[in-house]
Amino acid sequence: MTLRRTGAYLLVALTALTFGYLITAQLRAELPVPGNRVVRTEALVRTVQDLESTNAGYRSQISSLRGQIDTLEAQAAQRSDTTQRLRDEVAGLRAHAGVTQLRGPGVVVDLGNGRPGAGATDYLVNFQDIQDVVNLLFQGGAEGVAVNGHRISPLSSFSGPAGTVVIDQGNPLNAPFQVVAVGNRNQMEHLMGDASKLGGLRNRQRALGLALSFQGSPDLTLAPYDSALETRFAQPA
Amino acid sequence: MPSRPSLNAVVVGLLSALLAFVAVVQVRSQFEVERSLSGVDPTTLAFLIDDLHRANDTLARDAGALAARRAALQGGSNQEAAAQLNAEAAQLRVVEGLVPVHGPGVVVTVDAPLTPLDLQDALDNLRVAGAEALALNDQRLVTSSVINGDSEGVTVDGVSVRGPWTLWAIGDPTRLSSAADQMTRALRDDPRVHSAGYRAESDLVIRSTVVQRPFVYGSA
Repeated sequence: MTLRRTGAYLLVALTALTFGYLITAQLRAELPVPGNRVVRTEALVRTVQDLESTNAGYRSQISSLRGQIDTLEAQAAQRSDTTQRLRDEVAGLRAHAGVTQLRGPGVVVDLGNGRPGAGATDYLVNFQDIQDVVNLLFQGGAEGVAVNGHRISPLSSFSGPAGTVVIDQGNPLNAPFQVVAVGNRNQMEHLMGDASKLGGLRNRQRALGLALSFQGSPDLTLAPYDSALETRFAQPA
Repeated sequence: MPSRPSLNAVVVGLLSALLAFVAVVQVRSQFEVERSLSGVDPTTLAFLIDDLHRANDTLARDAGALAARRAALQGGSNQEAAAQLNAEAAQLRVVEGLVPVHGPGVVVTVDAPLTPLDLQDALDNLRVAGAEALALNDQRLVTSSVINGDSEGVTVDGVSVRGPWTLWAIGDPTRLSSAADQMTRALRDDPRVHSAGYRAESDLVIRSTVVQRPFVYGSA
């Protein structure tokens, strides 16, 4: 009797193991391409992450170097009126280029992705959306703008695949996005509230649930531009 | 009276539980990895990698130049500080569109009823391709320039501008030519466009300048 029961248990266990092996083998056989794709994609993602880390390091280094240079120039300006006059002139130019901190009243605009639709990527906030908001804020009298902390310069460009925004030499940014503008708060609020502006974005807000909201503030601070402002080809005529 | 389970039954039960656990973990982990990366395709990642390499090269170059400036300033010479400030002022005037500039670049011509959004996209394409100075029909532009539409047509910073359109861009001639080529090919497929073309120039001159407004609301 005991021998028969042991045999039955062994048979059950053997069947279970065989069944488990067959299921696993079947699953692996059916997923060879996705499995390889995942490995390749993971390797690419790691490369992107490494490059992003390097990118952040360089931008931090650039900010730090600009600060140290400013300190050294301030010391030199204390010893020379000519240097002080030059420093004052450059300070105004730096402010307009966005390489110094800017503080004042303004508007904060928040944007977020909507609900995934059937295949299309219209539910994702894209770089044109961010560009349109930035342009509208400049139209409304913005004196400085930053997107997710990245200050916009006179040479700034916007690019990136759907759902990703790349500004200048910065890391790829993803939703949620926050566009902060310092300047004419009333005029910027008026334009942001104008239903005839940002038509495409507002249509997708209604149809696909994209998030778009804004709020005025009496006191906002924009960090300095932390990327390169190169002019390797354009020279004063 | 129920019989107590034998040792064999316990072993079989444990083995079955272990098997189920391993199978579930294996299948779930596979699906989790798939799901977490489902929104990113390898082609997109490859483009991002290319862009990041180029961006990091530019940042490294700028960081190197700034480190050299700092080293020169650490000598404590007033002449050095003044020379650096003069050079930076000259460069920032170029960046901010305050002075006429020259250099290699492209001239893109488009005969079409383009909208302000079309023009903004075209200008952004050229900026992404490294344009350091831009003008549209003799109106100098920077990122904060306002391109708008009214009943008369297009305005740039309040000045009325009409087609046919000529975009002037100074910068890396190779990248700008490539961008201009792609852009004009795409434009020629647009039924609104009568003609679109570009030419590369080794020394382009942009004489127009931006009128800069002083800050009223913001302060350092």
